This record gives sequence, C-alpha cells and structure tokens, in this order.
Amino acid sequence: MSNDSILKTFLVVFLLCLVCSVLVCMAALVRIDREAYNQLLETRSTVLAAGGYEEQLAEGASEEELFSNFEMKMVNINTGEFTDEINAEEFNPKDVRDNPDMMVEIPVASDVADIKERPKFARVFIDNSKGQVVLPINGPGMWGMMYAYIGVQNDGNTVTGLKFYQHSETPGLGAEIQSAKFRKQWEGKKLYNDSGSIAIDVVKNGKFDPSAADAQHTIDGLAGATITGDLVGDLVKYWFSDHGYGKFLANYTKSKE
Amino acid sequence: MSKAKDALMDPLFNNNPIALQILGICSALAVTNKMSTALTMSIAVILVISCSNAAISAIRNHIPNSVRIIVQMTIIATLVIIVDQMLKAYAYEMSKQLSVYVGLIITNCIIMGRAEAYATKNPVYESLMDGIGNGLGYALILLIVGFIRELFGSGSFFGLTILNPTNNDGWYVTNGLMLLAPSAFFLIGFIIWALRTWKPELQE
Repeated sequence: MSNDSILKTFLVVFLLCLVCSVLVCMAALVRIDREAYNQLLETRSTVLAAGGYEEQLAEGASEEELFSNFEMKMVNINTGEFTDEINAEEFNPKDVRDNPDMMVEIPVASDVADIKERPKFARVFIDNSKGQVVLPINGPGMWGMMYAYIGVQNDGNTVTGLKFYQHSETPGLGAEIQSAKFRKQWEGKKLYNDSGSIAIDVVKNGKFDPSAADAQHTIDGLAGATITGDLVGDLVKYWFSDHGYGKFLANYTKSKE
Repeated sequence: MSKAKDALMDPLFNNNPIALQILGICSALAVTNKMSTALTMSIAVILVISCSNAAISAIRNHIPNSVRIIVQMTIIATLVIIVDQMLKAYAYEMSKQLSVYVGLIITNCIIMGRAEAYATKNPVYESLMDGIGNGLGYALILLIVGFIRELFGSGSFFGLTILNPTNNDGWYVTNGLMLLAPSAFFLIGFIIWALRTWKPELQE
C-alpha cells in the first residue's frame, strides 16, 4: 500500500492518535492522583511558615506533627462567623475561585488593593498551642495574582508571619517578598492602631524609621520592587478591613478573651 | 557507529542549536534566572527531543508525506504533555516555577527542526543520538547562562549563597539586569562570540 494513499493516511493518523491519547490520559491520571497530596503539602508548609514555625522546621521537627496543632475551620467572611456549610477537609480554594456562585464582588470603595472579587468562604487554620489563626489572603501583584497565608495572634492585631505560596513577581526583585529578610519584618507588627483603624503599611525601601512612632505598623519595602511592596501592603490592608476579615477577627478575638 | 557519535557530539559545539542555529531562544531567556529551573528545563527538553526523534524515526517509513508535520507535532505534543504532567505530579514546586514554559517545549523549533531534518531520514539509533546530542547542546547553553545569571543576579548557585547579597545583609550588590530576561540575550551573544572566536570555521 502506498504511503500517500488516502486509506493509509487515515490509518496512520488514526492509530497515532489512539496511541497518543492513551498515553496522555495515563499521564493525566497520574497527575490528578497526586494533585490533592501536592496541594496538602503546599498548604501545610505555607501555613506553618505563616504561623512562625520555620525555626522549629529548620531544627528538624516534622511538618506533619507541627501541623497537627492546627484546626481547620470554614469561615463565612461576609458574616464573620464560623460555618458548617462547607466541609473544611474537602474545601478546594481553586474550585471556589472558578465558581462565580462562591465569589463576592468587592465594592470599589472597599477595594483598596484592586482585587475585584473574593470568595464568600475562607478556610482558616486555628493554632491552639500558639494562640493564633492563619488566614488565606490574595491580591494582584505586578505580573499576576499573589496568594499567601498570614498568621495573626488571638489578640486579632499582632502578625505572626506572612508567607506567599504563589506569585509571579520578578525574580530577585519583587520575588524577594519570599526572602527571610522581608518576611521577618512582619513578625510582631500590629495591624491596627490604638483607635482601631488599619495602620499596617509597606513603605518604600529605606524609608523605614525604626524609631518612628508608627514603626510597629510599618514594613520596609524591597529595593527595586516598590510597586510589589505597595501591592503587598494594599492587599493586607484590604483583607483586614471590614469587608475582609475585620468582622471575623472581631468575633474571634472576643471568643478567645 | 561514527555517524551516531557525530550526531551526538556535533550539536555540542560545532552545530549548537542555540549558539549556531539560534533556535529555542524563548525558553533560554525565560527559565535561566536560576540553575534549578535551567536544569529541569534541560532535562525535560533532552527527554522530549530524544524520545520524539526515536519515535518519529521508528515510523518514518509509514508517515504519509501529506500529513507528516501534523504527525510529528502530535508525537512531540504527547511527549511534552507527559513530561509536564509528571513534573506537576512529582515536582510540584518546580512545575509552578517553570509555569507555561514546559508546555511551550511543543513549539521549540529545535525539536521540530530535528524531527524534520534528521529523524525522518535516519535510522532509530542515529536519530536517538542526534536527539540526545541536540538536547545536550541546548542544555549546555542553558546551564552556562543560568550559572552566570544566578551567580551575578542572586549571588547563589542552585540556591546556595556564594556571594552574600546586600539584601541579606551581605556585601555583594546584586546585578538586577541579570535577573531580567534581556540579560540572557547579552550572555548568549557573548557565548556565540566566544564560540566563533574559538572555532573560526563556524563564522558565516
């Protein structure tokens, strides 16, 4: 049979497609099988880092053991109350972001970080041993959405740590939001001032004055990445406003008193 | 035998796909700001190009001429998807850093070029060697560029600090240009210059 006959052409293409599609399906099945596990590992290490457990991890403590300090709970961000509507174990943040019914549009006046919409529910991690809660936050960076977890002590005001797990900032410049030096600054910073309004802010690199009155609210930005720094500041400001976790933190702090 | 050896060794210096044929530049710019991403990408490309060359060569006598490019693309795309899915399954953190660039191996001209220029005309063993050789030639340039960019851009090598940068309270002022894609253009330019000075017969 000639290679260029119509029958042979169809036969070759058909067989090739059959073999290739089987291979692709097998590869996809392996990946899907591992997806939940990979996400669990990612969430676990990010939550631990945001909760200030990195030193213990560096000393060789097991992630699994440390993570057992945490209790997963779902929060309805709109009301600020815990909810049983969704099972925290089965919650998948990615599915929620793709489901318009689960998202809430952020009014322009509240949208200081230009996030546009946020999920109705959030999965929070309550750490009873250290007395803190770790919350998921996100907001636009310079090149794409940035996703992080932030730890807050039970006083609802003191930050224990901030850790991004997904971003597309410029390596070496904006991506330094992951550097130990930048992240260390967040530990112990206060979100709100004495009158209860949001005071946390990221300033331009070098403009941070440790002796200033507002030093406990201020984080020194990154050299060469002023915009990324500003955006990180904005997204934290949004998430701790009344439209973000403000109501939840108020309830939560009261329940812990 | 010597033909297979030539197919393996030639693409390293004498006929390097990046430095001489100027192919595959896109990923050479995009993934070389760190050694770890450059190495992962190199391994991915070596796997894809060697397997695609061998597979295309194995069925070369049965590929209808009218659909040969589609047939080659299908084989290459399948291999790329397999590599991409395996990375997502077993090297999740790395696959996030490489983002779309593993998928874009499909459009890497080196692989298409070798399939069309070599694998359709030569036996399986030689085609396999040609694929590995071209993959290694690509890897060589990626790793050189990645080494220079990571060392001078972040002061590190595979993430280990070599030159302690100032943003970590060290002494080394990092070169911001090295972290951005255009620096790879300059570096590849210098590599081409060095290669053609060393081997004047490569000059056009």
